[in-house]
Amino acid sequence: MTAIGRLLDDFARQRRPLRSLGASGQLGYGIPTPALEAGLARSPDMIGVDMGSIDIGPNYLGSGKLAPTRVGAKRDLRKVLLAARRLDIPLIVGSAGSAGAKPHLDQTLEIIREIAAEEGLSFRMGVVAADIPRDRVKQAIRAGRVRPMDTMPGLTEADVDDASQLVGQLGLEAFRRALEADVDVVVLGRACDTGIFASIPAMLGFPPGLAMHMAKIVECASLCCTPGGRDTILGILDDEGFELESMAPNRAATPASVAAHSLYEQADPFEIREPAGHADLRNVTYRALDARRTRVEGATFEPARTLTLKLEGAAFVGHRALLLAGAADPRFIAQHQQIFAAVAQVVRDLVCEDTAEDYRLGFRLYGVDGVRNWGLPPEQLPREAFVMGECIAPTPERAEEVIRTTKQYLLHHGYEGRLSTAGNLAFPFTPPEVMAGPAYRFNVFHLMEVDDMAELFPVEVETFR
Amino acid sequence: MRMETMARVIRSKNAGPCLLTFDLMLPDEATFSYVSDRIATLRQKVAIAYGRSENEVVVLAYAPALAVKITLPRDVVSGDIGDRDVYGAQQHAPLLDIEL
Repeated sequence: MTAIGRLLDDFARQRRPLRSLGASGQLGYGIPTPALEAGLARSPDMIGVDMGSIDIGPNYLGSGKLAPTRVGAKRDLRKVLLAARRLDIPLIVGSAGSAGAKPHLDQTLEIIREIAAEEGLSFRMGVVAADIPRDRVKQAIRAGRVRPMDTMPGLTEADVDDASQLVGQLGLEAFRRALEADVDVVVLGRACDTGIFASIPAMLGFPPGLAMHMAKIVECASLCCTPGGRDTILGILDDEGFELESMAPNRAATPASVAAHSLYEQADPFEIREPAGHADLRNVTYRALDARRTRVEGATFEPARTLTLKLEGAAFVGHRALLLAGAADPRFIAQHQQIFAAVAQVVRDLVCEDTAEDYRLGFRLYGVDGVRNWGLPPEQLPREAFVMGECIAPTPERAEEVIRTTKQYLLHHGYEGRLSTAGNLAFPFTPPEVMAGPAYRFNVFHLMEVDDMAELFPVEVETFR
Repeated sequence: MRMETMARVIRSKNAGPCLLTFDLMLPDEATFSYVSDRIATLRQKVAIAYGRSENEVVVLAYAPALAVKITLPRDVVSGDIGDRDVYGAQQHAPLLDIEL
């Protein structure tokens, strides 16, 4: 019998609270073992881990690379896979490989296959890929069924073709379909983090609003505690509410710390959105059970009239090359804007003699305007500043040519009132030019209306024995 | 009073790749009421500090955490060419100086 089959049977015999372990909100960066083991000693019914987020930027989605190292991802996957098999409980993994597109999912599955072979594990795994066929998105654009999120412009068919990876954020129903394929382990491509922990409650008939609210909190492990951290958290769900307890003794889930978590990386702290509807948190109450545990009640679920899928896509914009250098000359720092503009002009004249201006060159002066576009210059200029030149060009060779030329002419540029005529820059090492690989941008962040998720995102089952 | 002396947490982060969201967590009910009674003024001052029109700035009081949340559009979509802060975690500094 599979782990999910055993859990469903157990609940069919006697209904009781459901115990979920949130083992990691960012799998691959380390799962502290003491708190994980403490959680496993508390008879959990399932283990869930989230691997992804859109906050890490477009590069991982575009390039197909994992955000953590493969070694880190494998170490953490081994921990949770061994734990779930040891207790014979379901393991649910969301947003495989950080950005959750096919290359990320494939790398995650490859790691799981390696672990299964190395450890001699036997289990059934349900997998749902999140990649969406481009022609289906184009059809939806033509039918007026795609709209932009936030400040994005309207989606065009060209954008769909430009995206090197294009995924839809799978919802709770995709996790549920994978579990219903009678499995021990579920791995999804890009997915709503709430589905990881709200899908089993949905199968067991727990109130969906409460389940989604709990899911949104425990998917971040002990981040909702004070002090917040990565340690495993236990969420115990019943029909009226849920209880939270960090598995690290130094972290406390207090009413204030749990309530504050609703603010994190969310524009609206009163709503949690999923493709099929949203949880409304307006009437939620938080009550301390003791110094380290909080009980939460009151979230309700509002089903959506139409199913919507959040699309995410990243397009290649060029190859990136950087120049890294420091400056400590007050005259150079004061005149940096004119100097950068003049050097950009010199470089353009040199590298575009027989080629079009096919690159973008920009500068930041850290200490002055590296982090924010302040609008106004600072009242006092810094004693030292860090110069970053950035070129984005169609080929790595072109980006390197531009940035190396820039280095040479910025080093020796003669500006008004210059005293330090031997060189304008301090290089912490040479070469001070760094090739940073391909660059991407989010060109798709849109909502698409969908009638049938199951047909777009089928479940595949793999058996290890 | 300056925000820096009023709040116990002043933080910024992306809310999706297009928006920046700021949380001002206040130390007690009294300070929370003081700030939430002045939401309109706060919105006006945030719009000026971030070079945005007022209708692009959303400010809402969140009583369960004694917090005020501010959300506004990013200048550049996260990670796009010209972005300076992919996670948006260091965009809060202008809030420190806001007088309320």
